[in-house]
Amino acid sequence: MKKTPPIVSLMSGLLTAASLSFIPSASAADAQNIVQQKCLACHVEEGKTSWSRISHQRKTPEGWLMSIARMQIMHGLKISDDERHTLVKYLADRQGLAPSETEGARYALERRLNTSESFESQSFTETCARCHSGARVLLQRRPASEWEHLVHFHLGQWPTTEYQAMARDRDWLDLALNEMVPELAAMLPLQSKSWDQWQKSVKPVVAGSWTFAGKMPGKGEMHGVMQVVEDNKDQFSITLTGQYADGSAFKGTGEAILYTGYEWRANLTVDGISMRQVFSTAKTGEMQGRMFEREHDERGFDFSALKQGSTQSSVIAIQPEYIKVGDTVELSIVGTGLQGDVVLAEGLTLLKDVTSDQNKRVLQVKASNSIATGPKTIRIGKATADITVYDHVASLKVVPAFQVARVGGNDSSTPKIEAAFEAEAWAAGTDGLAGTEDDVRIGFMPATWSVEPFDATSAADNDVHFSGRMNAASGVFTPALAGPNPERRMSTNNAGNLKVIAQVNDEGKSVTADGQLIVTIQRWNNPPIP
Amino acid sequence: MNITKIKPSLAIRLNTALLAIAAGVAPSFVQAADAPLKSGNEYMVVANYPNQINVIDVVTDKLFKTCKVPGAFGPGVMQVAPDNKTAYILSNHYEDIYGINLDTCDVSFHTRFSSDPTVRTKSIFSMAISPDGKEVYAIHNPTKLNTDHYRIQPTQLAVYSSDGGLDAKPIRTFPVPRQITVMTTGADGGLYMAGADIYKFDVHTGKYTTAIASRNWQRPLYAPPDVLNAWPIQTPSKDFTILYTTAKFQDDSYNVDTADWIYGFMNVNLETGKTQTTDFGPITEIYFTGMMSPKDPNIVFGVLNRLAKYDVKEKKLIKAAALDHSYYCIAMNHDGSKIYLGGTFNDVAIYDADSLEKLGNIQLPGGDMAISTSQIFIR
Repeated sequence: MKKTPPIVSLMSGLLTAASLSFIPSASAADAQNIVQQKCLACHVEEGKTSWSRISHQRKTPEGWLMSIARMQIMHGLKISDDERHTLVKYLADRQGLAPSETEGARYALERRLNTSESFESQSFTETCARCHSGARVLLQRRPASEWEHLVHFHLGQWPTTEYQAMARDRDWLDLALNEMVPELAAMLPLQSKSWDQWQKSVKPVVAGSWTFAGKMPGKGEMHGVMQVVEDNKDQFSITLTGQYADGSAFKGTGEAILYTGYEWRANLTVDGISMRQVFSTAKTGEMQGRMFEREHDERGFDFSALKQGSTQSSVIAIQPEYIKVGDTVELSIVGTGLQGDVVLAEGLTLLKDVTSDQNKRVLQVKASNSIATGPKTIRIGKATADITVYDHVASLKVVPAFQVARVGGNDSSTPKIEAAFEAEAWAAGTDGLAGTEDDVRIGFMPATWSVEPFDATSAADNDVHFSGRMNAASGVFTPALAGPNPERRMSTNNAGNLKVIAQVNDEGKSVTADGQLIVTIQRWNNPPIP
Repeated sequence: MNITKIKPSLAIRLNTALLAIAAGVAPSFVQAADAPLKSGNEYMVVANYPNQINVIDVVTDKLFKTCKVPGAFGPGVMQVAPDNKTAYILSNHYEDIYGINLDTCDVSFHTRFSSDPTVRTKSIFSMAISPDGKEVYAIHNPTKLNTDHYRIQPTQLAVYSSDGGLDAKPIRTFPVPRQITVMTTGADGGLYMAGADIYKFDVHTGKYTTAIASRNWQRPLYAPPDVLNAWPIQTPSKDFTILYTTAKFQDDSYNVDTADWIYGFMNVNLETGKTQTTDFGPITEIYFTGMMSPKDPNIVFGVLNRLAKYDVKEKKLIKAAALDHSYYCIAMNHDGSKIYLGGTFNDVAIYDADSLEKLGNIQLPGGDMAISTSQIFIR
């Protein structure tokens, strides 16, 4: 029987039912009422809308969700999904983070779980980022007294904290209270100018039409239009109409909530698959973030969008992003305000202007045989963008160079977590030598994918056989089932250490590159912010 | 929360596979819970899920019987009392100690560390018995659970009378340093506690001294050691042995790249009080537990993913045996001829201490032994 950890269902619950349940005009009063009814059983009322602990922290919507979910899971709070949605919205709006305060840590909200973190502060790394992401901490603001509560909570809730590696070698509690708390209070204070300013600022309007572009690893580039209609305050209906480069549809509908004036969280069904959007709309006319499958958040892509109808002309993507010397390609240029004449760099010839739309131009372009390798400008009216011209593929890079997949399924509580790789092609540049400073990035190319043992241990343990299968065409690795495997040495699970090999043929010449894939065990603890 | 749910089922699945390769325990050998142990016979105890203590006859290498333990399982730290009849187990999520009469499987002692519902008190592997069997010692790590915040309280040593019954309360408490794990008592009644250093604690006055410097050791060119110990193994040779890993630098430039990475052990001879800090070899792998051979103190064994045997004087790995799966906890019979590996799943593996040849497996009813301490004793 499949077990779903409570936190996952709570997280899902927030984002699905939210838009159905809001009565925004009453939500602040509703939220205050819920606090009175539900929270003051333990928290102390300090004023009309000030409560102990609650009113002395600022967090992201996911941060507030995790706090309330913890109250449910660990402290017996009984609260309906609708009540929780109302509280999260209220708290994220009233005590959120300014856009600048989330910079550098959004990867955690965007579920980029393959991120390797690195922090300057060794004490922060060893005290906080040892067990969970550092981003989880960086996405909170508290005064010293609240950071101190957090230390006591951690050791009280997980008493072995001070016995673990990087804790048992030092006077952990003393260091956490007397060094870490002041460091955190200085670095991540409750009061900030940026938050004051953001609260006062006029927020960008998100209702309207947006031109978007992205590239789904394993499937390819796509672009289209996202229509956003505000049904109620901060609550939106979405219609996505797009297509992949191969012409297949990327279409769907869904609902979104805007938290804190810019934290866009949407649930959509796209081509029958449940997907989620975690975007920032903080910059006027722009949307940035990641869109991913709800059940497989490793399957996702960087999403960027420009609001249509703005007076500015700009290009968000040229697809494909490169053209080979002597070739003719059909380019989709997507953006806003793309009216006007097409002017191409010398060596590029416009053969056909297929369609003419302010938000998308489709051009048939030929690159001459003599054009030099490098970026070439395409101008459409007032907008410009570069396309890369190349002579031949001199080298490849596997992107990302290092990745983690996780075994799953087999009646365990977590699904398999795939890993998708891309092959980034590079040209040699003017010196004709690959691997030198003047190399030119061409872009991601289709490749043939395979895996090999990473080292002698991996070969001896036959990781290639046990750990999963690489899709030769898509570069997507699907790991094997979870659990001890009696067929393996020491009955170990299907973990493995693999070399990932990409191979591209360019004019009969084979170019290869490799990366590393660790296939490991399940992520047992998988809250909204890792 | 998931891992505890899934471990027993994984153990059961693995058990199915192991049964094919190891001699299973025919139920007819197993005695009733109230079957008394034979005086003079050698036994091993080890706990496992769902919450029980298994008694293994070390002479026949068969499961003798299984005793139920109240509460929820974990961690299963055990100490056998000097009466060689009572097994004390730290369980119920690190919050209770139960004394189990192994002859009858009856609970003869119980304490819940905190009797205040607003205080949650855990002991992180810290439990010991006085040499006369009259007192039980535990470290308390309390947390005050206020309605909207927690406060960590100072740690203390709690002393219980072993005849305190089923609702025993401390008869004495003393402040102690934080971060103490395993403990044991010497023949003189002194309580050895492994924390930042190995302390020798006077259970009557609360005064303590450093028996072995660990975090604060002053060994020229050595880095401070890393010490993890969750298994207070009672050895036939009456040694309190704690493994460490460390780096020894070439010179006072303290260059990590050229340092030697070393395994060693700290040891208290519980009869004499004599201590030592001894390197025994380069780090090639991690061991969760290790012990000196009862036959030859120059031989040290370590176990996790292999069973390894070291010559201490030579500082050399003599031999290593491959294992069917990871084992956490080592035990040896009193004549030093057999090694018993417990922990992780629900089979105990037996190895010849000289050849490191595998002698067999003993299947346990129930699930995972997890981090339980296995102890060998003569009734």
